[in-house]
Amino acid sequence: MENIDSNGSGLSHPYNSLIKMRGIWKTYQMGNEQLHALREVSFDVRRGEYLAIIGPSGSGKSTLMNLIGCLDTPTKGEYWINGEQVAKMSDDELARIRNKEIGFVFQTFNLLARATALHNVELPLIYAGIGSSERHDKAVDALNSVELGDRISHRPNELSGGQRQRVAIARALVNHPSILLADEPTGALDTHTSAEIMTLFEKLHEEGNTIIVVTHEAEVAERAHRVITIRDGEIEKDEKIR
Amino acid sequence: MAFIPSFSIVFESFRLAVGSLRANKLRTMLTLLGIVVGVTAVIAVVTIINGLDSTVADAFSAQGSTAFSVSKRPLVITSREDLIRFNKRKDVTDQDAEAIERLCDTCWRVGMSINGSSLVKFGENRAENVSVRGLSLEMFDIENVSLQAGRLWTEQEGRSGRAVCVIGTDIVENLFAGRSPFSVVGEEIRVDGVPFRITAVAEPFGKVLGFSRDNFVYVPFEVGQRMFGSRDSIVVHVQVRNSGLFETAKDEVRSIMRNRRKKSFSDTDDGFSIDSQDAFIGIYQNATSGIYFATIGVAVISLVVGGIVVMNIMLVSVTERTKEIGLRKAVGARQSDILLQFMIESVTVTMVGGAIGVFTGYGLAYLLSVVLGFPLLISPSSALLGVTVSFVVGMISGSYPAWRASRLSPIDAMRNE
Ligand SMILES: Nc1ncnc2c1ncn2[C@@H]1O[C@H](COP(=O)(O)OP(=O)(O)OP(=O)(O)O)[C@@H](O)[C@H]1O
Ligand SMILES: [Mg+2]
Repeated sequence: MENIDSNGSGLSHPYNSLIKMRGIWKTYQMGNEQLHALREVSFDVRRGEYLAIIGPSGSGKSTLMNLIGCLDTPTKGEYWINGEQVAKMSDDELARIRNKEIGFVFQTFNLLARATALHNVELPLIYAGIGSSERHDKAVDALNSVELGDRISHRPNELSGGQRQRVAIARALVNHPSILLADEPTGALDTHTSAEIMTLFEKLHEEGNTIIVVTHEAEVAERAHRVITIRDGEIEKDEKIR
Repeated sequence: MAFIPSFSIVFESFRLAVGSLRANKLRTMLTLLGIVVGVTAVIAVVTIINGLDSTVADAFSAQGSTAFSVSKRPLVITSREDLIRFNKRKDVTDQDAEAIERLCDTCWRVGMSINGSSLVKFGENRAENVSVRGLSLEMFDIENVSLQAGRLWTEQEGRSGRAVCVIGTDIVENLFAGRSPFSVVGEEIRVDGVPFRITAVAEPFGKVLGFSRDNFVYVPFEVGQRMFGSRDSIVVHVQVRNSGLFETAKDEVRSIMRNRRKKSFSDTDDGFSIDSQDAFIGIYQNATSGIYFATIGVAVISLVVGGIVVMNIMLVSVTERTKEIGLRKAVGARQSDILLQFMIESVTVTMVGGAIGVFTGYGLAYLLSVVLGFPLLISPSSALLGVTVSFVVGMISGSYPAWRASRLSPIDAMRNE
């Protein structure tokens, strides 16, 4: 606890926190062995922060991402998003939180291959139960904000890697989530396109979005305002870098 | 959380289903096959049997249920033992017919027939196994025979045993190729070598179950008796004025005949048989119910096999689309949304199969109706049945794969293989 307090990154304003994790454990049972992917992780994220999570391979970054994104539940500990306790929610409640609060960006884009850019971006709105004309307008807006307004009826195989990732970002933003959550968002892109995507993230941050990026690339982490380093399932460092 | 699928989700699921069917055409076709075969069988059989029922009903209602026959052997004999037993009975004779005519009050018309089959020739043209029947004049009324050309023989001609005949349209076709019925009246044909003059051509009766009923030569009863009398017993035909008298007439004739055969109350066998078209209808219904059950068996088997195929393909599809399912869950799809998506996909497959099956079933029924000559009666209820059956198969075979899909973890979408 004291190392988090010492860098003063959020526990001083607990009621202001968008994300509040306390004593989070994730344990996998491997036969007779217990594997602790996360041990006693606690931290807060405030609205509007731009946070990078780094650490060596196998340190537990993706495990933490899955918990933050409500794709998985912790073995032990407490977790609030926007004041809602999500650590013990049912599958369907978690689906609602993911739909409302979180926008995912994946390393391999994860677009539907047979669907157009527009339809891919509409997907979260479909599960939010939004009618088709409102859905269309919102999706077009989101595509415009990533400068793909002229590509709405292209399918993923008709787009470049950078464009695909921008479609994925538009999909993540379309429902105005509280958090934009990206796992190695530039992992499948070349240097130039990576820079483009990072500039887009910066712009989105300036517009007020909360962004959490998991990466092992130093250049990507440097763009964030705060960096959490994980080692062996524990937070090793949590520092503000600008 | 309550399961209330929004219209958007249902529509999205349907769109997806159609998309994935079109994306994988060969697989889709194989998947459909079992369902198509099953539904085709159901539709074809229902349609064919409907058509047959109507021709059979038409064919027999010509006589209505007002006529019955008295003969030595019943129409339906099921064993060799029975045949031997029936053959030991006394022949039915023209004296029996006379007695019935004289003693039976409710009987309206009484006729006699004697039946055989012969080789019929005209010049070099020949027709084998032609039904040759010696008929008394009353038979033309009882069996509702009408003539399209020529005239019936007279009572005088009949009694004096003149070699005259009335022929069916098949004989005109087979022996007088290309000639009109009018032009053959007056010609002489040979029946088992004996010359007969044609006095008339009958109106066609048409086919029943693919068998023509117009391949006949009718000759006067007295002549028929000379030809076949030594070989077989005659048949007495009785007609009543209206079907209300039918049972009474039957009872009357039975007691007259039992008296003549000197049967006491204790004799279980009449010594003769009374048959009506009910017997034919019974045979027909037996035969068609056999076909019914056989085809329902085929249909059930192919639907079960088809259902298993659909289930397998759906399971493959769920495995292939793990990432897609994970992604959908990551962006907010609930378990029920995924369940619905795969159920709709499965039901869409089987319903498409069912719709194709309905059309091929009607097609098959149409072909058979042309070949066998019965009307094509397309009933919307059989189409409804086919579609309902395929819907149910889709629900059943889709439920397990859909359940599996709905349980998949969204983390799988994040995992990069
Ligand atoms: N489903 C699982 N079952 C068992 N062990 C798991 C499971 N998922 C992760 N682990 C283990 O938890 C630890 C942390 O894994 P995690 O994927 O979070 O690492 P990471 O930091 O994302 O690594 P990388 O940078 O290589 O992606 C690893 O030792 C991994 O083997
Ligand atoms: Mg990882």
